[in-house]
Order: sequence, then structure tokens, then C-alpha cells
Amino acid sequence: MGKQYRPITPGKKWFKALVAKIVLIVLGRAFQSGARHDPDIKKEVSAWPEGFIVIMNVLPFGPRMALEKINGRLKYRGTKYDDGDLVVNFKNLECAFLVLTPQIGSAQAFAERRMTVKGDIAYAMAFTRCLNTLLTLLYPKFICKRLLKRVPPMPLKKLMVKVVVNVIGVPFGL
Amino acid sequence: MLPSYYEFFNPVKILSGNKALDNLPYELDQLGVSRPIIVSDKGVVKAGLMKHVKAAFDSSGMTIGAIFDDVPPDSSSKVVNDIAVVYRENGCDAIVAVGGGSPIDTAKGVNIVISENSDNLMEFEGADRLKKPMQPFVVIPTTAGTGSEVTLAAVIKNTEKNVKMGFASHLLFPKVAILDPRMTITMPPHITAATGMDALSHAMESYTCLQKNPLSDAYAFAAIKMISENLPKAVEDGNDEDARSAMANASTMAGAAFSNSMCGMVHALGHSVGAICHIPHGMAMSIFLPIGLEYNLEKTEKYVAELLLPLGGMEEYTKMPEERRAARTIVLVRKLQQNLYDLCGLPRNLKEAGVPRNKLESIAQAAINDGTLTFNPLEMDEKDAMNVLNEAYTW
Ligand SMILES: NC(=O)c1ccc[n+]([C@@H]2O[C@H](COP(=O)([O-])OP(=O)(O)OC[C@H]3O[C@@H](n4cnc5c(N)ncnc54)[C@H](O)[C@@H]3O)[C@@H](O)[C@H]2O)c1
Ligand SMILES: [Fe+2]
Repeated sequence: MGKQYRPITPGKKWFKALVAKIVLIVLGRAFQSGARHDPDIKKEVSAWPEGFIVIMNVLPFGPRMALEKINGRLKYRGTKYDDGDLVVNFKNLECAFLVLTPQIGSAQAFAERRMTVKGDIAYAMAFTRCLNTLLTLLYPKFICKRLLKRVPPMPLKKLMVKVVVNVIGVPFGL
Repeated sequence: MLPSYYEFFNPVKILSGNKALDNLPYELDQLGVSRPIIVSDKGVVKAGLMKHVKAAFDSSGMTIGAIFDDVPPDSSSKVVNDIAVVYRENGCDAIVAVGGGSPIDTAKGVNIVISENSDNLMEFEGADRLKKPMQPFVVIPTTAGTGSEVTLAAVIKNTEKNVKMGFASHLLFPKVAILDPRMTITMPPHITAATGMDALSHAMESYTCLQKNPLSDAYAFAAIKMISENLPKAVEDGNDEDARSAMANASTMAGAAFSNSMCGMVHALGHSVGAICHIPHGMAMSIFLPIGLEYNLEKTEKYVAELLLPLGGMEEYTKMPEERRAARTIVLVRKLQQNLYDLCGLPRNLKEAGVPRNKLESIAQAAINDGTLTFNPLEMDEKDAMNVLNEAYTW
């Protein structure tokens, strides 16, 4: 008898999925906190309609993270929603890993088509600006240099926001 | 240097040259259809171009399902929905666009609503929203600029909200594009000039923006050479068939380039001026191109320097020391701009284009929310955009 051919069930990238999941939680809380304390993010979010839902999602099955504007404030909503007004999709786990760990910035990720957007592009642009600001609050300058086209200066006021976001924002979502 | 990763896709069959249009029925037959709707505009009809299209169907055994020639310059979701009704009423089975970017993008919109079996285009705004197979779609461009015959994008106005909607999907590509010199020969000088500068800006932005790649570079490079050699000729003597054919080919190549590598701030600013002040797209491109090249120079000097070869020619390139090539490229773009101003009055700045100064702020705000800005090499925030606009106002 010849060789037998059978279907193959692919394995699971549990480690990368776990990392992506954790980073999305950190990002979500930082976003909620940033929208409260950082004037730039605050200004962007103030232009979004009440009830606006933003999702960051890894195709095809997650992990994912949702943000929702409730009573004028941006809230981290975990995995509560699977669809929103603006959905940023990573094409696969490897794409998400590159962006979330963070090895490449959002501009490069969009240019390389590793991330796609569903929804109004103007909101996607605003969301990307917020994300870029958030990166400067979460990471040191030498990392941001690799991720952003231009690293904005960090005056004392911004530095305080950075401390707040990291000390109480990420752990407690405040 | 290769980008760490890129994608390239261009599935459009190109027919170019003498009597290319007469192959239209054959191509439709190959696509298994025989009753197309033709989507066009009044300017195209007035230029006498529809008679060539009709003649191509003579003795072909096919039926022209309907001719819709009322696409307005600022095409809208309402027009798209209206055309879809005409399509269904006449039992059409394919779409043929005849015109510039306006009828072509409108036809893409019609293809969306027909193929998705919807009566509302707005449901499909954004990227990769389409799932169903599309109707056979053929494009016959009558301007040489947008490259829309080989792009995956369409820009259509939302009549209710008065904003431009963007659609992008690999399903939006036409099946066939027909470049027949007869179809662009009637373009008046100022439209030839403006649309030609649109093509040049596609090629130059594609060559310098974030997702440039070896394939898009090759298309862009070749397009720039043809544009620089032929655009002034086509403006000066509209009947120069060789110049017309060259421009049509260049525009298509530039389209294939930017559809894959995307463009940057020149288009972000141009879309915004277009939406707010209704100045033609190509005119805006001509104004912003040199300024955009200059703005990004810090990061793109090497690429802009390379462009001196196709833009200025071999002699110009070799005699210029390496470190001065980029600056020289920009000077030549300015010269071309001035040349077109002298030939047909194509505006050199926003003031000449009739843009009111008090609109600059809203243009800047719109520009930073335009998706193409993502692919610009350098950051441009609202303040930067204001500076650029002020420079473009009276340059
Ligand atoms: N989808 C894309 O990739 C893409 C790219 C760039 C621009 N665009 C869109 O394209 C539109 C602009 O297109 P355009 O610049 O080709 O202009 P257009 O289609 O609006 O045409 C301009 C004018 O020229 C006339 N005209 C066209 N061909 C003619 C001919 N051969 N002889 C005489 N008159 C002729 C038309 O009747 C019209 O009055 C804009 O809406 C822009 O947003 C789309
Ligand atoms: Fe363009």
C-alpha cells in the first residue's frame, strides 16, 4: 500500500496569543487613563460621538479589545463587543505581535497592510494619533523613535501625565 | 533597498493604441456578457467621444443596455443609486465607464451596489468591505491623470453628509482598461495639464512614500519619464497622437504604482482643498507637488535625487553633482508648473486657483484626517499643514 494522506490540524500559538492579550489589556487601560489625563487624547476623543465604540482585533478569532465613549469619557470595555463603529483588524497573530510588542509603528503596519480598518477613515486617523500619543506615554524615547515619524517633546506637564498613566492608569484604569 | 514587506496587485488587462476601442465587444464577449450599461458625462458626449464607443458596437451582435451620460463632476452616492436603477430596468449585465476619474469612480460605485444587490452605496464605505463577485467592468479613460482604470479605490461624495467617501477593495479593479488615443485627443489644454500633473504626483508620491517597493518604483519611474517628455507637447498640440498615447500610458502606469504604494501629503492636502473649495483634483496636485517633495526631503532626498534622471534626462542627471540632484528635481517640477501656467494658465498657487484664504484652517483640519497622510514619510500635524498651506497660497 502507498503513503496515506490525511488532514492536518494546525497547532496553536498560545504564547503569542497570550502576549497579545496582555498588551491589549495594558493598552486599553492606558487608553482610558490617557483620555482622562492627556490633553491631546482628550481633545481627539471629545470629537467622537457619544456611544462610539472602537475595537482592536486580531483576525480571525481575537484576542481583541474594545473602547467605548460613555458619558463623554472613554472606557476600556475588555472583550465586551465584537463589532464597533471603528474596527482595527490585525490580519493575523504575527502582525499583531509585531505591532504590540512593539517592533513596528502603526504607520508602517498600515503601509505594509498588516492592519486594516473598518469604518470612517477620519476616525481611524484620529485613533492613530491617540495611539501614537499613548506610545510616547508608555515607552521611552529610544523605542518611540523607531515607532513614530516624529517623537514630540516631553515637557514637564506631559512627563507628569506619563507618570500618572503608568502608575495608576495601567494597574487600576484610573 | 527592499522594504521589509510589501504587497503588489494589478489584475487589469490593458489594451493600448490604434483602434484599441474597437476590441471592446470582443473583450465583453470574453467576459461572457453582451448588454453593458455605459456610464459617462456630458463633457465627454459634447466632445463627440460617445460616437466612437457606439461605432465600436456596430456589427457586433451586442446591445448597449443603456447610456447614462449625466455623471456630475462631484459624483455622489445619489447618482450611483440612480444609475443602479437604470442598470436593473434595462437588464444590463456589465458596466463600461467612459470618461475621466468622475465617471470611472461613479461606475465603481454602481458596480458595488449592483453586485452586493443593495440600493445604498453608503453601507460599503471603507476598506475591504466587499465580499460578492463583481459585474464585468471595463474602463475607457478619456483623461490622462487619475489612473483610476487600474486602481482599487473610488472616491464618491456622500450627498447626505456632504463629505467624500472612500472605497477600497481588490474587487473594485476593472477587468479591462482601453487606452485609445482618439479618446483623449479632445481634452482641452487646461484639463490635459491638470490631469497630467495628477499623474505626475501619483508617480512621484509613489516613489517617495512609505510603501514604495521595487514593482511600484518601476512603474513610477517609467511614468515620470513619459510625462516629462510628453505633457507639455500634449498641452501645446492636442492633436499630437503620440504625446496623447504616451500620457495615457504614463497615467496608467502611475496609477498602478500608487494603487499599491499609496500616496502621501500632496494627496491629503489635495483631497481636502477639492472637498472644501471644489477646485479640480489635478490643479490641486500641481500646486502641492513641489511643496510636498520639499517638505519630505529630510527623509526622501535620495529618492528625489534619483528622480532627476527620468524627469530631467540623462544629460541633466550626469552633469549635476549628486548632492544637488534632489533640489534640482524640485526646480524642474517648478519649471514644469510655470511652463503649464504659460501655456494654459494652470494655477501655480492656491490664490490663483481662487481658494479663499479664510478656508485654509478647515483645509488643514481635513488634511490631517485624510487616510493618505498615513503613508507620508514625515509627520504632518495641523500646524505643519497650516504652514504648508500658507506657503502654497502665494508661492
Ligand atoms: N480612484 C482613484 O484612484 C482616483 C485617483 C485620482 C483621482 N480620482 C478622482 O477622479 C476625479 C477627477 O477625475 P479627472 O481629473 O479625470 O476629471 P473628470 O472626470 O472630473 O473630468 C473633468 C472634465 O473633463 C471633461 N473631459 C473628460 N475627458 C474629456 C475629453 N477627452 N475631451 C473633452 N473633455 C473631457 C469632463 O467632461 C469633465 O468636464 C476626482 O473626483 C478624483 O477624486 C480618483
Ligand atoms: Fe490623484
